[in-house]
Amino acid sequence: MFALYIVLPLALLIAGLAVAAFVWTVRSGQLDDIDTPPHRILFDDEGAIKAAMRDRREVR
Amino acid sequence: MSVALAQACRHCGLPAAGDFCCTGCEIVHRAIAENGLEHYYALRPEAAPAQATNASYVELDDPAFQKVHVQTSPDGLAHAALYLADLRCTACVWLVEATPRCLDGVRDVRVDLGRSRADVSWDPSTTSLAQIARHLDRIGHPAHPYRGVDRDKQRRKEDRALLIKLGVAGAAVGNLMLLAIALYAGLFNDMSAADAAFFRYASMFVAVPALSFSATPMFRTALGALRAHRLHLDLPLSIGIIAGLVWGTANVLRGVGDIYFDSLAMLVFLLLVARFIMLRHQRRASTAAELLLALTPTRARRVVNGIVEEVAIESIVTGDLVEVRAGETIPVDGVIETGTSAIDAGLLTGESRPVDVEPGKAVHAGTVNMAAPIIVRALAVGEQTRVGSLVQTIESMSSRKADIERLVDKIAARFVPIVTLGSLLTFVAWSIFASPQQGAEHAMALLIVTCPCALALATPLAVTVALGRAARRGILIKGADALERLATPGTMFVDKTGTLTVGRLEVTSWHGDIDARGLAAAVELGSAHPIARAFASCADPTGVATDIREELGRGIRGTVNGRQVVVGSPAWVQQQCRGDINRWIANVTRAAETPIAIAVDGTIVAVAGLADAVRPDAADAVRALGELGWHIEILSGDDARVAEAVGAKLGIAAHDCSGNVSPEGKRAYVELARKDRAVAMVGDGVNDAAAIAAATCGIAVSGATEIAIEAADVVLRNPSITGIATTAAGARATLATIRRSLKFSLAYNICAGALAVAGIIHPLIAALLMPASSLTVLASSLRSRAFRGDR
Repeated sequence: MFALYIVLPLALLIAGLAVAAFVWTVRSGQLDDIDTPPHRILFDDEGAIKAAMRDRREVR
Repeated sequence: MSVALAQACRHCGLPAAGDFCCTGCEIVHRAIAENGLEHYYALRPEAAPAQATNASYVELDDPAFQKVHVQTSPDGLAHAALYLADLRCTACVWLVEATPRCLDGVRDVRVDLGRSRADVSWDPSTTSLAQIARHLDRIGHPAHPYRGVDRDKQRRKEDRALLIKLGVAGAAVGNLMLLAIALYAGLFNDMSAADAAFFRYASMFVAVPALSFSATPMFRTALGALRAHRLHLDLPLSIGIIAGLVWGTANVLRGVGDIYFDSLAMLVFLLLVARFIMLRHQRRASTAAELLLALTPTRARRVVNGIVEEVAIESIVTGDLVEVRAGETIPVDGVIETGTSAIDAGLLTGESRPVDVEPGKAVHAGTVNMAAPIIVRALAVGEQTRVGSLVQTIESMSSRKADIERLVDKIAARFVPIVTLGSLLTFVAWSIFASPQQGAEHAMALLIVTCPCALALATPLAVTVALGRAARRGILIKGADALERLATPGTMFVDKTGTLTVGRLEVTSWHGDIDARGLAAAVELGSAHPIARAFASCADPTGVATDIREELGRGIRGTVNGRQVVVGSPAWVQQQCRGDINRWIANVTRAAETPIAIAVDGTIVAVAGLADAVRPDAADAVRALGELGWHIEILSGDDARVAEAVGAKLGIAAHDCSGNVSPEGKRAYVELARKDRAVAMVGDGVNDAAAIAAATCGIAVSGATEIAIEAADVVLRNPSITGIATTAAGARATLATIRRSLKFSLAYNICAGALAVAGIIHPLIAALLMPASSLTVLASSLRSRAFRGDR
């Protein structure tokens, strides 16, 4: 069971890193608004809109 | 009140040429109808199509305003936050965020849907905030300055701090459970002492820092309550957590004895989750209420040398001339310089009838100009106005609203001494009959396992479920304790004008020739006077009126289809026309209505009774509240006879209907009644706000003034007062749920406590009991009947 003495601290270290990452996301304001982003993924990106408009013009 | 001759679209309600405004709506309507789903139109909230106000928003460019609300960043861009009305869905977000594409100089618009807020940044040399606001207005989202920026910063800080604690506790739970499983498994298969000690040290290493950090909110409230010599539920929680951490650490260092780190971490995590969810729900309700506040006008029209300019209300000073158009709220206290009109002072005084005014008459800020444009010379502005001083008293009152003793805190007050005494007795008994060593062990175990986790979860869970459901029904509940305040029935004082009634004059009775209604409607069609509006909406006009002459305060005359029609006050009409109408007038005045005589070709043919009509759902609401045990009384600023007439229609006894009550009087009524029972106050006007703030629980109905919304604990968003009964019933159901959950969790505590006293508790049993009791409470809260149902 000697492996435990290395793996367990390692696992706790990784967990600590995850917590640190979480604290960073909160502090940088990424979780302040959790209502709007789910809507925002539905927007087409700019490039796609422009391409669509160009296509339409070409068809005409 | 625009004259819309176009029909409303059957699907979306927008003005349309035919049945529908566009093919899209027609297709959707057909799809709904073909599937037999027309009930949708009955269920959906009042169709409120996007509306542009066409305001100029120049006040947003006022330097005084910019100083407060606009920040400039080093790169020369200006930034401001705006409240946007009617933000609902993905399309709204997209449309608003696409502003930079439509308007040069706008760099970025970010929408926060939950807060109805948009953060705008623009280049001040190319465009202006007013221009941006005009654009947003035109696409259907009238913009208002976001007043709560500072408060928002504070809230965001609190939210982030809580979220971080939640995350840390969550990570601690996950890891501690894994470690605990290894230890519990070691119980059944021999684990070497060294391995077990290693796991115990690892647990301690995770638990002690993580839990002492994430449980600080509980420690802080417990300390605060102790300092105020009160017992709070967080006190037994803190005792349990601290006892668990200290005892656990001691046992790890000693190498013998039980540790409860995993159960403690689970407890802290669940408590934080409950707190976080409740906070979010409360924030949402208060944001919605604040949005209603932001909708009041902040601009006025100042007249300088005959030129009218729109300015921010703050820049009006005493002596300025202010133009007020029909339908607008008067922004200052002052006297009328030019113009005659009718003033609706309902929100300020509760008076339901319009008051006719002419040059030289005094008008007050907060009242509405109904009929024609007037120019007012300002005598008092801002806080010196009558409304301003009322607002100040209310603000000072709201801040010292007495706390009610919450149910859980009552239980905590008994819980703490019982558990402390129990663990002392356990220690003494085990020390005598076994050893002090065992005594300490079992006493500590008792403190830890009776830590009232489920007890602390019961209230937040039940309240959160209730707040969420209530918000979906248009009822905004600002604080968790508002529900507890409303749960015990007592006396409910209800304002009349605008609360029980629609707040608008209507023709409510007709004596004499019924056909004269069309003629009267034709004559009155063009006038903006409230009495004229009542006639115009009571019947279809039977022709087009010509030669219209309006005499303010008396009446109106005109020619319709070649017939002379006179409509006006009985005395004035009787001066010029024949007819015995005294009996009709007596009937009308007995019903507490305002008589208006109608004469055709020199003969009086009818008398109409005008009154502020009772809301169609008021009777239902009053009856439902009565069934819940509330005693309803009417407090009105209007005439006592009118109050009694409305009371009679709703089944409220005459001695419970008080008229001519001043705003201070309403507050006195509430404060007197509050001495011996729970008092709720329902109202909409400035005149109700002081009473709303003084009541155990204040309720503002839809269309209420800013200050009433501010003072209230509950705000109804739908134009129906059945919501009051729904809220009262919901509050009672919520409290019943809380009681049920408390019983469950107490039962668990007694079981766990008994096992600990008997000395047969084990961390594994605690680890199983704790989530079981929490899950029971969760299930019980979700099963709550509060704010459910099909009403």
